[in-house]
Amino acid sequence: MKSIEAMGMNVSGLDNVVISSSKVLVNGRALEHESQGNAMLTEIYRSHVADWPKFFKMDTLSKVGFLATELLLKERDEARMGSEEFASDRAIVLFGTTASLCADRNYQATIQSASDYYPSPALFVYTLPNIVTGEIAIRCHYRGETQFLVVENFDSHQMAFHVQCALQDSVTKSVLVGWVDSTGNDDFECFMTLVDRNEAACADTLAEQMEGIMNNLK
Amino acid sequence: MILKLKQEIIEVLNLEDIKPEDIDNDAPLFGEGLGLDSIDALELIVLMEKNYGIKLQDPAKGKEIFKSINVMADYIQKNRTR
Repeated sequence: MKSIEAMGMNVSGLDNVVISSSKVLVNGRALEHESQGNAMLTEIYRSHVADWPKFFKMDTLSKVGFLATELLLKERDEARMGSEEFASDRAIVLFGTTASLCADRNYQATIQSASDYYPSPALFVYTLPNIVTGEIAIRCHYRGETQFLVVENFDSHQMAFHVQCALQDSVTKSVLVGWVDSTGNDDFECFMTLVDRNEAACADTLAEQMEGIMNNLK
Repeated sequence: MILKLKQEIIEVLNLEDIKPEDIDNDAPLFGEGLGLDSIDALELIVLMEKNYGIKLQDPAKGKEIFKSINVMADYIQKNRTR
């Protein structure tokens, strides 16, 4: 029997992108790729984005979050995607457990040995998890609230709560929300979705939908 | 020396879509040229220390040294300790 994922269906009701070390799903449809891990991210970037060289400088956490956002916005075919106009009505709220530990380790490797002590500025700038929200905001010209919450475990109700909080002000109309976690340069999992005020009205429903998306990572 | 330096810059700055021949020897490295930023400038300072033993005491001097590949290569030739 074919799984829902294999059939390419989006059962969550929200447009979403799911990325793990071995697969990329856009609304349940698997994107074709030959490589795995970080090489897969580069392969998907080259075939679906290709116009943001800064991608190659990013740490794995930022690459995953950036790529998921790009694929999601392309899927929604947003008229304002690629616009140079700044948008203040969209917040970015991301969650993860491992934060920037992967980037921290890569940076630490450059200062580990006294005889080979060359701290890398390019690695150092990624030693904060919320840098991924900045990378997305810069690319999309978002000027709304951005936050990356480091949590103990995936908790869809907690995520829904924070989405609703972000929508409390009168400016924010939608929230880019997702789970972005990277435990190694080739080990990561992520889902990204976009939620407007109506979709966030009922926290339980939103939590259930995000739970459904998260299940695609398993 | 010029080719080696270009390869080192491409590697250390992760300029994946750039080949050595794409870099004009006299074109500015910053600004419009390769589109490098301030973090890249710091990485170039680390590169000079790590690969050529040149310790730049005043990072502001980088502005002059990183004017172009030719200028940078010339500075390295004159000041390298390894």
